[in-house]
Amino acid sequence: MHHSLKEVQQLTGHTDQVWCVAWSPSGSLLASCGGDKTIRIWGKEDKSWVCKSLLTDAHTRTIRALSWSPCGQYLAAASFDATTSIWSRKSGEFECLATLEGHENEVKCVGWACTGNLLATCARDKSVWIWEVTADEEFECASVLSTHTQDVKCVKWHPACELLASCSYDDTIRLYHEASDDWESCAMLKGHSSTVWSVDFNKDGHRIVSAGADASLKIWQDYEPGNPEGIATPDNLPVWKCVCTIGGHHERPIYSVNWCSLSGMIATASGDDSLCVYQEISTEDARNAPKFEIAVRQKAAHLEDINCVSWNPVQKGLLASCSDDGNIKIWQLQKE
Amino acid sequence: MASHFSGALQLTDLDDFITPSQECIKPVKIERKPGKVGKIRIEDDGSYTEIDQTGSETRLEKAKITLNDCLACSGCITSAESVLITQQSQDELYRILDENRQHAQAGNQGMMKEIVVSISPQARASLAAAFKLSIVATAHKLTAFFKRLGVHHVFDTNLARSFSLIETCHEFVRRYQASEVDKTSLPMLTSACPGWICYAEKTHGSYILPYISSTKSPQQVMGSLVKHYFAQRLGKTPDAIYHVSVMPCFDKKLEASRTDFFSDIYQTRDVDCVITSAEVEKMLEKEGTSLSSVEDHPLDTITPDNQSEKLVYSHAGGGSGGYLEHAAKFAASILLQTQVDSLSYKVLRNQDFQEVTVSAEGKPPLKFALAYGFRNIQNIVQRVKRGKCTYQFVEIMACPSGCNNGGGQIRPDGDETQKERYQTVENVYNREVEVVDPFHQQEVESLYRDWLGGRDTDKAREMLRTQYHEIEKSTSALNIKW
Repeated sequence: MHHSLKEVQQLTGHTDQVWCVAWSPSGSLLASCGGDKTIRIWGKEDKSWVCKSLLTDAHTRTIRALSWSPCGQYLAAASFDATTSIWSRKSGEFECLATLEGHENEVKCVGWACTGNLLATCARDKSVWIWEVTADEEFECASVLSTHTQDVKCVKWHPACELLASCSYDDTIRLYHEASDDWESCAMLKGHSSTVWSVDFNKDGHRIVSAGADASLKIWQDYEPGNPEGIATPDNLPVWKCVCTIGGHHERPIYSVNWCSLSGMIATASGDDSLCVYQEISTEDARNAPKFEIAVRQKAAHLEDINCVSWNPVQKGLLASCSDDGNIKIWQLQKE
Repeated sequence: MASHFSGALQLTDLDDFITPSQECIKPVKIERKPGKVGKIRIEDDGSYTEIDQTGSETRLEKAKITLNDCLACSGCITSAESVLITQQSQDELYRILDENRQHAQAGNQGMMKEIVVSISPQARASLAAAFKLSIVATAHKLTAFFKRLGVHHVFDTNLARSFSLIETCHEFVRRYQASEVDKTSLPMLTSACPGWICYAEKTHGSYILPYISSTKSPQQVMGSLVKHYFAQRLGKTPDAIYHVSVMPCFDKKLEASRTDFFSDIYQTRDVDCVITSAEVEKMLEKEGTSLSSVEDHPLDTITPDNQSEKLVYSHAGGGSGGYLEHAAKFAASILLQTQVDSLSYKVLRNQDFQEVTVSAEGKPPLKFALAYGFRNIQNIVQRVKRGKCTYQFVEIMACPSGCNNGGGQIRPDGDETQKERYQTVENVYNREVEVVDPFHQQEVESLYRDWLGGRDTDKAREMLRTQYHEIEKSTSALNIKW
């Protein structure tokens, strides 16, 4: 190990477990949400992070996940009350702009596409919904995808195109794209032996990292039609193959995985109260057989299960995590 | 087991695939017998035997959940699927046909049922596409096929659809005129699709139900015609008739099972059994018959007119019935005093979301929409909820592409895709059949006059209109699954 995580600050305020932390695109704000049904917006004043806004009264149950729009003007919040709220800060203050209804029960995750025109949500009702943002800030349902056979845990958009990934309690990952008149599932990634809790793309979107209840990480590589390896691509669609499995560092399910677009490092958060950071090491055939090594294993990073981990998109090595213990921690990755 | 229900229904927990024995939360009344309970033994065949203290054995009855229990419960209606398979299937029709044969052999003519089969135009189109026949040939061959099996009368549900269309048109005009005082009168949402109705009742309840047209679907109008008008004509009671409908859609089985369409007096449903196009194909397979090789037999007529051969006809406005088409033209003539011969459909977000605007100088335009498939239904429902729906009338169907693409239709074979098969069905649907205007059908006119005593009578309301019921969300802890 050549790195360590230095705890920069602990952010207290939530009165129940904290489910999600999300950095704004400019990296200047951190949004958090949890079992206390509130959203907190944290920003830096002088040298420390303080709670700048407290958003309440939009949801009647736990807020499970947050996503910033690429422009940083909107924040979407997914709740167990079956709705997703959209907040706008165009006026300076955060205002609830819309509430998206339609899911039958607990919404588990929300994600904004790179273009800012599409939003995806997923829920315990096993469906993934795609919403289109209209010119007059209305949100219209563009598709309802019922391909997973169980609770859908997480949705994540490709960093550069309108390709969506979702993962589920059915142990699979699905990818979706827009076909002629509707969205459709264009790939199923099978490999995990249990619930897939979290997925993320790397910077250029040619790789996906997934993490799950089997305490392992999997790296998936896309092979475009006409790939030099000669891997068959039926229907002229890219094929995703698992090129690396990383295990043995977490003792309990991995709930969250985040691939840093600045450093290429992967951070994981687990039910064993620890955080891990992985980095790729150079090998002969990095595309088809990449190797990753553990850079940091931060045991007892929190007092209880860690639910989410997120790299700051601008400040290299700045990491946020949140836990069932009700706290958020900000860490700085350091070279030993 | 793969679900055959429409997408809208599958989202309301329908695809959980749990059978009543596993997780059904519906309370069942248990007859408790006094005395001490002995042991219960599970037999190899899965049945239960109770052994009391004296050692005597009694086979225990299974708790049975009927389809009606399932429909009235928001716990799950997945269980409905396994119940449906036993209560409404081609096997049930075969059972009734067998019973009839036995009664005939025993000389119990009085015990025999009069068996009626009503065939929907979409199911006919699916069979026509599968066997590469014309609509008229399919109608005639199906009639012969069912008669060969012992069915007494074979009708076309287009007659019933004429009533549904007329009622929809009048209801829309009435609602439009009442819209200034009654906020829930517009937009009017059509009612022919049972998947949509079931979804609306289970998930949107009180705020959306008032907008849904009270007009019965063609299947249920057919039920009224057969069990009331036709039974009377034959001098029989409704329960002496066994009424089967052939539909493009699995959800129609749920519709036929609604208590609204059950007669307490005669203990009979208006439609006793719904079989799908695909199930008719299975019947043909079972009989070892190709539809193409069956002889032709004209359709029967429900009224005693003297036509030597019943004409096979259809309606304008597409494979889902043409509710928008008829309502828009009728409303233009009544509300705008304008004759509109052809409507222009504008495709919006996708092919399954289209709009039609009808206007006349000096009057506010009338806006109509088609919304098929769950995603488009969703947007309409949310707009209605927020008071932002700009349409006065929406034709809603749960299936993408509408009824010709229904879940009960025959699946494509070989290399054909579902889309290609749908296109074939859509193409054949109105080909070479006369398109009629329901307002100018003599048979319809005479039935309004002689059977219902006019268009706006209590009898007409009883026979042609229905109601919807909000289903409370169940909050049983058993229902929460993680």
